[in-house]
Amino acid sequence: MKLYVKAISSYQGNLEDVDIKKELKQTYKRDTRRQDKFMHLALWGALRLKERCEINSDDEIYITSGVGNMEIMQKCNEYVNVQKDILRPFDFINMLGNTTSYHIAKTIGTKGKNIFEVSNSFSFINSLISAYASISISKKEAVLGCVDLATQPQSLIKRVLGLDKEVTVLSGVNYQKLSLTMDEAIASIEFDTKTYTFDELQGIVENSNVKVIYAPKDNYFETMASYYVNRAIEAKEELIYVDSFEDNYKILRVEILD
Amino acid sequence: MHEILEVIKSGDIKCISKEVNTLDGKRSVPYFLLQERVADTKEAITNAIKEVAFELVKNLTTEQKLNTVLLLGTAILDKNVINSVEDTTNEYDNNPEQFCKTSLDSYAQDTAKELGLNPFTMTIATACTSSINATLEARNLVNSGVCQRAVVVGAEFSLGMMSDGFVSMNLLSMSSQKPFDKSRDGLILGEAIAGVLLGAEESQWSLLGGYSNCNSQTITAVSDSGDEFFEVMSKAMELSSVNAGDITTLKAHATSSLSNDLAEMNAISKIFDKNLDFTAIKPYVGHTLGACGILEMAMMMACVDEGFVPKTLNSQESISEEFIPLQEHKKCNEGVFMLNYFGFGGNNTSAIIQKELT
Repeated sequence: MKLYVKAISSYQGNLEDVDIKKELKQTYKRDTRRQDKFMHLALWGALRLKERCEINSDDEIYITSGVGNMEIMQKCNEYVNVQKDILRPFDFINMLGNTTSYHIAKTIGTKGKNIFEVSNSFSFINSLISAYASISISKKEAVLGCVDLATQPQSLIKRVLGLDKEVTVLSGVNYQKLSLTMDEAIASIEFDTKTYTFDELQGIVENSNVKVIYAPKDNYFETMASYYVNRAIEAKEELIYVDSFEDNYKILRVEILD
Repeated sequence: MHEILEVIKSGDIKCISKEVNTLDGKRSVPYFLLQERVADTKEAITNAIKEVAFELVKNLTTEQKLNTVLLLGTAILDKNVINSVEDTTNEYDNNPEQFCKTSLDSYAQDTAKELGLNPFTMTIATACTSSINATLEARNLVNSGVCQRAVVVGAEFSLGMMSDGFVSMNLLSMSSQKPFDKSRDGLILGEAIAGVLLGAEESQWSLLGGYSNCNSQTITAVSDSGDEFFEVMSKAMELSSVNAGDITTLKAHATSSLSNDLAEMNAISKIFDKNLDFTAIKPYVGHTLGACGILEMAMMMACVDEGFVPKTLNSQESISEEFIPLQEHKKCNEGVFMLNYFGFGGNNTSAIIQKELT
């Protein structure tokens, strides 16, 4: 399966010091009320993508995340289970996964298909597969967004992500505008449903003359694959990215187009 | 399903109650709860999903299973995350599961692994349209050749924060769901788990198509005109190559809330003539949120397989003089059926299924 990339927007928390809420208000003149940090991160990434490409009103939106909006879960747990208070309507609505994708659609002006989806492993690759399957039938274009917010305390998010205590969890928001056609594309991404063993993977990697990056395990967010794809596209470097879960591996191939 | 069919035929609805948190303290509200409690642990939820998925794939060969993906549709608040939040709050640092990756999709992944399915799993969380959207996604995966078959499971279990949320929005009825009725006063929540197996092989039942979009006026409501519903229903028919006159019966979303029913009725009146047969399933099982997509589709299919379309329970005085929901069970063995689902977060979906006897 192959999708062409028309534009990207990329952010990794430890590389840029940005007050995202302030950016949304001052640079993009957005009303940030009744939204939380997870949504702000998602919206900021989407607006940065919109600056770099044309978004059609019927573009299909796919939003994925490692754990979703955990901050709102913590907040609501505090209300209901600790303070024994009642849930506030907007907090309840913000707990639903597709609330974030609704705000994204409103922000970038789409009215078509809009899916919030999660895979326990290989989130980015599975969302690419999902988008590919859909637009190969609908013949539309897709916007894929990966949103991960590093919440406090880190011990909680590490527990949910299954990470060691030494790992630093980062925030990240990375988007691609995807198409089935090469027109105006800056890169392509190849992927499939196949999962490889380590030995099979070694055979692929050893026979490749393209740069290979394995999913890092120190500074981490769940959808890092999306970030590394974008970084390779920005640097105009071809890439094989190896994602892993338990003892299974999947690969993505990024090809740069002139 | 046999028990549900008996309930539909007899009209002997078994709705019990559940305590929810309100501004005035705890209050008992009607609730369609499963007979066996499954919401309390991750293991119990996973087992319930496994049981339904197993029934759907038990006759497949090992190779066929490896070409079968599993999609889950649910609005369920992630029990795994809730557990972790509660544990951290209570400083249960010695929880042995603390370094095990979990997410809303863990249920699907664990199920696929145990049943020998393809490792590709995905969980769609688009509120009340979750499992119908998962079904349309599964259809795309099959039709585009990514996989040969897809199991889709819709699941929703009673969690405190979910029911408290509906209370906070004043959306719950304290008596019964009365779809499209002038005296409607809200919905009753329900638990459910249901599944469907999609594939390219010939079958009496087929999913002709559907359309899903996100164009609601606000995050919780569409305009009273129903224009957003009209758009999604029209597009679903276009993509399924059917006309309004081809629709044998419409299964409405019909939450029995004041605004949603009004908007849906207005959309119906713009597309169909007054001879349309339409009904609602929620008075029989409650609003099962993310599970309602597959549950209500499965119930419609089961009823038609039994030779009828169910009447619209509790609907006595329609909000429309021209469009009256089915007042009696209607004999029906085949046909084209429109299924509507509209949800929070702006997601609206309409799907078209067909049963052909020959």
